[in-house]
Amino acid sequence: MASIIAIASGRLNLGIDFQGGAQFTATGVERQLSTEEVRGVLPGDIAASSTVQTVGGDGYEVRTPVIGQEETTRVRDSLSEALGAEVSVTSVSPTFGEQLREQALQAVAAALLIIVAFISVRFEFAFALAAMVALVHDILVTVGFYAIVGREVGLVTVVAVLTVLGYSLYDTIIIFDRIRENTPAVGYNRRRFDETINTSIRQVIRRSIYTSLFTLIPVTALLIFGESILSDFAFALLVGIAAGTYSSIFIASPVLSLYKAWRAGKLRPARSA
Amino acid sequence: MSSRRNNLIILGLVVVLLGVAAYFIFVREPVTESTQLGLDLQGGVSAQLEGSQTGGGQVTRQEMEQAADLIRQRIDRLGVAEPDVRVQGDNQVVVQIPGVEDPDEVIDIIGDTAQLGFYQVLASDAQPGVPQPEVDQTKQDIAESLKRDDAYEQGKTKVLFEESPSPSGRETYVAGYVVRKNPDLTGDALQQNGANVDFVNGKREVTLQLTKEGGQQIAELTQNMLDNSLISGQPPLLAIALDEDVQSAPQVNEPLGEQISISNDSLPQGLPEDEARQLETVLNTGALPVNMEVISQTTVGPTLGTSSLNSGLLAALIGFGLVLILLTIIYRALGIVADLALLIYAFLLWGLIVAIPITMTLPGIAGIVLSVGVAADANVVIFERIKEEIRRGKTPRTAVQAGYDKGFRAILDGNVTTLITAFILYALSSGSVRGFAVLLTVGVVLSMFTAVVVTRALLGLLSGRGIHLSPGMMGVSKASIAAGGQRRGK
Repeated sequence: MASIIAIASGRLNLGIDFQGGAQFTATGVERQLSTEEVRGVLPGDIAASSTVQTVGGDGYEVRTPVIGQEETTRVRDSLSEALGAEVSVTSVSPTFGEQLREQALQAVAAALLIIVAFISVRFEFAFALAAMVALVHDILVTVGFYAIVGREVGLVTVVAVLTVLGYSLYDTIIIFDRIRENTPAVGYNRRRFDETINTSIRQVIRRSIYTSLFTLIPVTALLIFGESILSDFAFALLVGIAAGTYSSIFIASPVLSLYKAWRAGKLRPARSA
Repeated sequence: MSSRRNNLIILGLVVVLLGVAAYFIFVREPVTESTQLGLDLQGGVSAQLEGSQTGGGQVTRQEMEQAADLIRQRIDRLGVAEPDVRVQGDNQVVVQIPGVEDPDEVIDIIGDTAQLGFYQVLASDAQPGVPQPEVDQTKQDIAESLKRDDAYEQGKTKVLFEESPSPSGRETYVAGYVVRKNPDLTGDALQQNGANVDFVNGKREVTLQLTKEGGQQIAELTQNMLDNSLISGQPPLLAIALDEDVQSAPQVNEPLGEQISISNDSLPQGLPEDEARQLETVLNTGALPVNMEVISQTTVGPTLGTSSLNSGLLAALIGFGLVLILLTIIYRALGIVADLALLIYAFLLWGLIVAIPITMTLPGIAGIVLSVGVAADANVVIFERIKEEIRRGKTPRTAVQAGYDKGFRAILDGNVTTLITAFILYALSSGSVRGFAVLLTVGVVLSMFTAVVVTRALLGLLSGRGIHLSPGMMGVSKASIAAGGQRRGK
């Protein structure tokens, strides 16, 4: 819920990938300046609309709105002169940013559809539906967390979200696989099916936790020791995988149970106890 | 007996593969050179350009291929190492150049459409000695004053500018010219490879050799201009422009022939060397068939690249090490087998990366790290299953059998979904994201082999050699084993 509110209130902080702009990264600086001093180095009209951050012990990151080629060169030169550092530049035009944004949304939508189709074939539609609900939950939580924390959403975030999708699904599938295996061949019975789900979850919960652990360890290492892109990526994965583990157990399974009950109720409208 | 032979065959295959991987990594080339690094790890320039037609029409794939070819030629002429120029989608070109000293020069040269145009100047205005920050403002002022001139007609004429450094180098000479909307003569008039850098009286200039027909046309045009100037009393200027930038606008003193030169009289050494070389290059490679706009550009300095690489490797190694340790703690003997499989996995993956070769990028490292998690996970699924079977009272040997049989289906389904997302990422994205998708795919497929097939062969061989795996060695306490189970084989 908090996620939806945060996203809806427009707190999502889109990175330059998605709205265009330029980013300057200075590394190995010779002169340490405060972020305000760094801002002072920038040409007047650009300085006002830029953000300046320190990165690591001896680096700075300056983000500006969309600027032209000449201005880019000017900003870079003045930064490298003032800081005595090597300055790397990334710039994205607004039209291209829009393209990337569209591509990203398409990718996520396509992933969801294909995955539902795949699960429908391997299991049955009820499982696919439940998995889908869990996935949408994961995406919302991850993106919502970004909105709340105010971290920048870029191409890397989308890649991470898609990875989380595949990952969380893996978790869900392991549980479903167990449910499928444990379900007796005789017809559907709500109490028995729910029990099956519970048994299955109990059987695999250790595995779920261990697996998350085994993935989270390297991801945490990336978050701590990796720089810039890697730590951004790791952050999204961390949130997503945590959400994914939780959702497989507490969302996918109840949804599966409820949907099955609802279907059964429709098929033979009997008095429910 | 035959299962034992199968196990030996599999392990033999692994040893051979390891040997092949070692050959690619260490023997074929020195280790430091064998792995291809992406721009984000070794520094360089990457730019993405979008092509468009002047009128807003559709750009064809063929035109883009042509444009990419021309861009490649231009960069080659700059003498930069191994540019990678590719057409992407319908109307984009991606240019990647490792380790460039001066990124601005490269960006300038690849994006220039380089339509050469000769224009008769109808009216002009100039402002010498403009300080750098005021150039744009000065241009606006000049444009406004020129638009009030009688020669300016909305829709039929346009204003072009010339910017050149003043002798001191600190200030800029800014001039505006009113010219006809379409060039009086275009780059078609230029002979093949007709542009050359020359020195005349110690000044550097670029001479243009025109075709016979072009020579006639320019002679006609300049004769006309001379005649007009006799009537109007204004000096006849001929603007030579690349795209919308006037390179020079010499005064015409006599009708011109087949040879024209572009020079800068205000500087003592003539045209600056960079500029002359750029002009020569873009003119000789010819105009791009479409307009090119730089839509995204990344410049990574070598030190940033190195530090990214180091931090990425450090993170990957630490993560990998922790996974190895944890596996051993939780699964004891089984864990050591899995560790061995993971090490084999890591080495084979490296071998594949070098052999294919896959260019390593930061997102690629992330993909590898994630695939280590996936590889470890496959073992977790199987081992948990084995432990479960043991608790039910099965012998270790049958438990191992059951664990692999039952675990495999879940692993397959799970990995297929990961592959699906990787394929979607690959199909719908570009550049660095693709690197991630490729490595994730390779990693997942390879991990199925090492985590399932190799560990099984190892375990099979161990038990076949009479090495008895007690439940305790697999991390199962005796108390948790169901009472009454037969511990030893039947």
